[in-house]
Amino acid sequence: MSEPIVTIAAVSTVDSRAASPRRRRRRGTNPLIYVALVAASLFAIIPLLWGLSTSFKSESVTLSDSGWIPAQFTLENYRLVLFESQIPVYLGNTLLVAGLTVISTILVAIFGAYAAARFRFRGRATSMFLILMTSMIPGIAILVPLYFLAVSLGLYDTYGVMVIIYTAWQIPTVIWMLKGFFESIPDSIEEAGRVDGASHFRVMVQLIFPLALPGIAAAGVISFIYVWNDFLIASTMISSDEKRLVAVGLYNYLSQYGIVWGQLTAAVVVTVIPIILVFILMERRIVAGLSAGATKG
Amino acid sequence: MTALMTAPADRKPPAAPSAPAPERGPRRRSSGVGTTSPLGLSWALIVPSIAIVAVVSIFPIAYAINLSLHETRFLQIGDFVGLDNFAQIFGTAEGLGQVGRSLVYVVGSLAIAVPLSLALANLLNQEVRFRRVFRVIILLPWVVSQTVAALLWKWLVNPDYGPLGLGDIGGVRLDFLADPNLAMLLLIVVNVWISYPIATILCLASLQTIPEELREAAEVDGAGPFRRFMQVTLPLMKPTLFVVVIQLTLLYFNMVTLIYTLTGGGPLDGTNLLSLAAFKQSFEFFNLGLGAAYSVVLFAFNVLFGAAYLRLLRSERNV
Repeated sequence: MSEPIVTIAAVSTVDSRAASPRRRRRRGTNPLIYVALVAASLFAIIPLLWGLSTSFKSESVTLSDSGWIPAQFTLENYRLVLFESQIPVYLGNTLLVAGLTVISTILVAIFGAYAAARFRFRGRATSMFLILMTSMIPGIAILVPLYFLAVSLGLYDTYGVMVIIYTAWQIPTVIWMLKGFFESIPDSIEEAGRVDGASHFRVMVQLIFPLALPGIAAAGVISFIYVWNDFLIASTMISSDEKRLVAVGLYNYLSQYGIVWGQLTAAVVVTVIPIILVFILMERRIVAGLSAGATKG
Repeated sequence: MTALMTAPADRKPPAAPSAPAPERGPRRRSSGVGTTSPLGLSWALIVPSIAIVAVVSIFPIAYAINLSLHETRFLQIGDFVGLDNFAQIFGTAEGLGQVGRSLVYVVGSLAIAVPLSLALANLLNQEVRFRRVFRVIILLPWVVSQTVAALLWKWLVNPDYGPLGLGDIGGVRLDFLADPNLAMLLLIVVNVWISYPIATILCLASLQTIPEELREAAEVDGAGPFRRFMQVTLPLMKPTLFVVVIQLTLLYFNMVTLIYTLTGGGPLDGTNLLSLAAFKQSFEFFNLGLGAAYSVVLFAFNVLFGAAYLRLLRSERNV
C-alpha cells in the first residue's frame, strides 16, 4: 500500500522529480485545467482581495464605493492602524511570544526527536507514544484546568504562560517532523564522528543538527504561524491590553469600536502580510513539513 | 491544539517509494549507533519533552475529568455530583441540539472539503504553466487565522455592502448572519475555506508518491483520464484520504475560534456546537463544572475516533 504519512525527505525528493525530462513534457494540457485552476485561485484569494480593496477606501466611502478597485485611493486607514491604534503593540507581543515559543519548542523537541530517531533504549516506544498521543487532547478540553493552573501558580496574564502552553502543544508535532528528518540523514555520518573519538552528544550537536537545519527551519516556521494565528490561549490567559496578542486584538477591535471596516481590514492586512510573505518564500519547505503529519488547528 | 494524527508512535515513519536511501531500513538495525545507545543520554534527551507535555496536557485532562464530576461556583469546586453535568448535555434538548449541530457541521464540511481537496491536489499535480504560482495562491488560506477568516468573510457577505452578500432577493432581505440555516451554511463554507489547504497538501504528497509509470501503463491499455483516476489513482490514495478524513473530523469537531468569531453560536443558537458550548460555559458563564463536562465529552470523542483510526490504519497495513 502507499503510505499515508510521508517523511519530509521523501516529499522534498519527490518534488525534484518534476525536473526529470519525462515529466516536463506537456501533453497538450487541457484548457479546462486552467479554467479550474483560476477558479480555485479566485476562491482562495477573493476574501483577501476584498479586504485589501476596502483597506484603501476612506471611511466615508467604505459603504458607498462597492467597486473592487477603490475610486479614491487612501492610506488613511493604515496611518490610523499603524500610528494611532494598539495593533503595533499586539504585533510586537505576538512576535515576542511566537519567537520564544519557537526557540523553546525546538530546544526541547530536537533532543527528544534525535533520541527517538537514533537510539534504541527501553521505554523509547512508550515515551514517543505518550508524547504523540497528547496531540490528540484537544486544546479546548484542557483550557479550564490550564486556567486554574495558571491562576494558582501566579502565571495568569504573563507572556510566560503562553509560551509554556504553546511549546507543550507544539512539541508532539515538531518531534514528529524532526524525527523523520533525522531518519533521512545517513547513519554513516555519526559512525565517522564516533570513530574520530567524539562523544554521542558532540556528534549530535556538531554533526547532525547542522545537517537538519532545513527541517528545523520548516518546523520552526510552522510553529511560529501556529502561535501567530492562535486565539484560544491568547484570549483566555491574558487580561491586560498591553500583553494582548494580535488575533485577540483584531477581534476586540471589531467588538469595541463597532465595525469600522476600512480600519479593520487595514489591520487585517498589516497582520497577515508578514505571514503571507513567509509562506511565499518558504512554501516548499512548509508544505514538506506539513506533509509529515501536522495540521494547524 | 494541533489535531496531529500520526501513525502509531512505535513505528518509524514509512519511507515513500522514492526516499533517498533505500538501504537505510535494514542497515540501521545493525549499525553502531543503535547498539551502543547510551541509556542515560537517551533519557536525558527525551525527558524534558515528556515532562512538559505531562504538565501541560496530561495532568490537565485528568483535572478536567475530576472537575466535570463536581459542582462548581466560579473558581470554587463544590460537592461531588457524579454525572449530573453530563446529564445536562445528553439529557436536555439544548445539549442534544448541540450534538446534532456539531454533526451537521462536521459532516457538511467534510462533504465539501474532501472532494474539493482531492480535486485541487489532482489539478496541482498536472504539468501546467505557472504551477508554483497556482500552488502558492491555492494553498494561501492555510496562513489565514480563524479570526481573520471570520472577519474577512463577515465583510464579504455583508448583506448591504459585501460583493457576496445576498441583500434583498424578491423583497425578502437575506442576511447570512441573521438566519440560523444560512449562518450554518456560511460557517461551513468558511470552514472549508480555511481547512482545504492542509487536506490538499496531504493529498498532493500522496499523489506525488504514485509512480507515473502506473498511470502511463493504464493509458497504454486504453483507459481514459477518468478511468485512470478511478482505477489507478484513487485506490492508491485510499489510505491518505482516510488520514485526511480523520484529521479534518477532529479539527472540525474541536473547533472553537472560527465559530466564536464568525457567528458566536447564533443566531438563535443555530450554530451553537458542542465545542463552542464548552468554551462559552467555561469562559463566558463560568460554569466550570459543566464546561469541563463538555470538554470531557470532546476528549472522549477524540480518543474513540483516534483509536478507531489507529486500528484501521493497522489493519490497512496488514492487507
